[in-house]
Amino acid sequence: MTNMTPLVTFKDVKKSFGAFKAVKELNLEIGRGEFVAIMGPSGCGKTTTLRMLAGLEAPSSGTITIDGQEMNDVPVHDRDTPLVWQSLALFPFLNVTENVEFGLKMRGVAPDERRTRALQWLDRMGLKGFENRRIDELSGGQRQRVALARSLVTEPQMLLLDEPLSALDAHLVIRMQGVLTKLQKELGITFVYVTHSQSEAFAMADRVVIMGQGEIAQIGKPQEIFRAPQNRFVAEFVGRNNILEGVVHGDIITIDGSDFALPGAPDGPVEIVVAADRMQIHATAPTDAAIAAEFVSEEFAGTGIICYFEGEGGEELKAQVTESQLATLQPEPGKMFWLSWAPDAAHVIAG
Amino acid sequence: MRIGSAISWVYVAALFAFVFAPIVTSMVFSFNSDRFPTVPLGEFTTHWYETAFSRPEVWTAFRNSLIVAASAAVFSTALGFATAYTDFRYGFRFKNAYLALALLPPTIPLVILGLAMLAWLARLGLSGTLPGIIIAHTVMGAPFAMAICRLRLQQMDSALEAAAWNLGASPWRAMRTVVIPFCAPAIISAYCLTAAVSFDEFIVAWFVSGLNKTVPVMILEILQGNVDPQINAIGTVVFLTSMTLVILAQLLILRKTSS
Repeated sequence: MTNMTPLVTFKDVKKSFGAFKAVKELNLEIGRGEFVAIMGPSGCGKTTTLRMLAGLEAPSSGTITIDGQEMNDVPVHDRDTPLVWQSLALFPFLNVTENVEFGLKMRGVAPDERRTRALQWLDRMGLKGFENRRIDELSGGQRQRVALARSLVTEPQMLLLDEPLSALDAHLVIRMQGVLTKLQKELGITFVYVTHSQSEAFAMADRVVIMGQGEIAQIGKPQEIFRAPQNRFVAEFVGRNNILEGVVHGDIITIDGSDFALPGAPDGPVEIVVAADRMQIHATAPTDAAIAAEFVSEEFAGTGIICYFEGEGGEELKAQVTESQLATLQPEPGKMFWLSWAPDAAHVIAG
Repeated sequence: MRIGSAISWVYVAALFAFVFAPIVTSMVFSFNSDRFPTVPLGEFTTHWYETAFSRPEVWTAFRNSLIVAASAAVFSTALGFATAYTDFRYGFRFKNAYLALALLPPTIPLVILGLAMLAWLARLGLSGTLPGIIIAHTVMGAPFAMAICRLRLQQMDSALEAAAWNLGASPWRAMRTVVIPFCAPAIISAYCLTAAVSFDEFIVAWFVSGLNKTVPVMILEILQGNVDPQINAIGTVVFLTSMTLVILAQLLILRKTSS
């Protein structure tokens, strides 16, 4: 993030397709050199937002400015907003080098220079020796890198990415995430990355924009969104969160009859969020406040094991543990446990 | 299993024999020295080819047919491609009606189409001229060209064209550098097929050709006079020309679907 003027500004942007409002009143600023991920469930308007930025869709109302210039009437081919497509959209009748050269050719760069620049990018993406291959002779990861080289060869100030990793195998996704973050840091350009995958967005982005039903639900750093979701939609979408209902009176919240410290919260009924990895599991009732819950099941996730419980009020509770913790707890379905958390792990959501 | 496959091979061979026997017979007799098609065969000769192609009207007919086929194929393919692209790119009301209309010509009986063409072209002062036959054959060929191009466009990722715009290609340039190269096999195959349709076409050509006879029309006129082995010779040349075009078209269609 820089403190200069933003590179991209969406001002009161709306987009409808017939009666369907894909994007309702979007206001968003994207800084220079920033890695922004736009995330949300399908149909939330994230792809439409990206397509409006590329000029593939025109806003129904509102304005989009890039680098101070209003873009509403600028056609796609006059914008400098290369897009890495979900399908990659590499040209099957051109070889690897010709694909990468395409953008330069359209900009009227001389044949010698465009070849040199294309080869440099292929080298940089680790595709030396594949220059004359056909696209269908490449693996998924190689195609991905050709698509990146094709978009970046024109040295744009912004790269748009539309779920580019969704077609890759899990191990390749992690590797490509590394490639993308490194590339973005090295080039210092803006990346706008659309995804439905929380792990991709949180792993790479400086700032995450969560969209739901055509509106921005929350903007913030990955940590902020993870620890302090502003509303129930975000808390649920991010997952691995416990959403608990209780009543606050004088810095104390009462949940299922137990009193927990909750400093600084206004009195009255509220919802709080406790992340699964901040939830502590006790095999016996602790002296401090805790929620009694019945063990339901466990799930092996990449970073640990998520244990699912059912509280006395029927609410679902999740706690993340390590494998050794799980061995000590020896949970069985129906066995009672007590769940508690440190006061600073609880976060009040607005509504 | 073995016997089963042997039987199916025999069946296929029999089927091909049944379909191609008349044509092969005609080819064989075109090289036979006897005046009448009888067995046993006479001697091998190229006499009928020599006499047939020493007649200037045969050359004129071939020249007419080639001009008509080559031109009608250009127009049919262009129209067919444009129609298929419109279907691919745009959604609009009455699109189904538009497509049905575009695919209508092959469903009209040829006699009716021939009569209608004659009446219409006569008003335009084009009946009996080569442009008149070209127009008629363009109408007949365009639906085939459209079907072939449409098949190819269906295999195209719609992001491909948008990717070209996104990389700085204007809509026309994207058409030239992406859509047409992608569809090239289909376009060439549509050209070959519509040329073959035009080259073989008799009924409509008979109505509108007047004095500018195409090969099929000329063949009928020779036949009306007498049975002459020259017909076999001319027929063989026509068959080989059409088959070459059709096989070329098929090869291109097969290759594009496999890649």
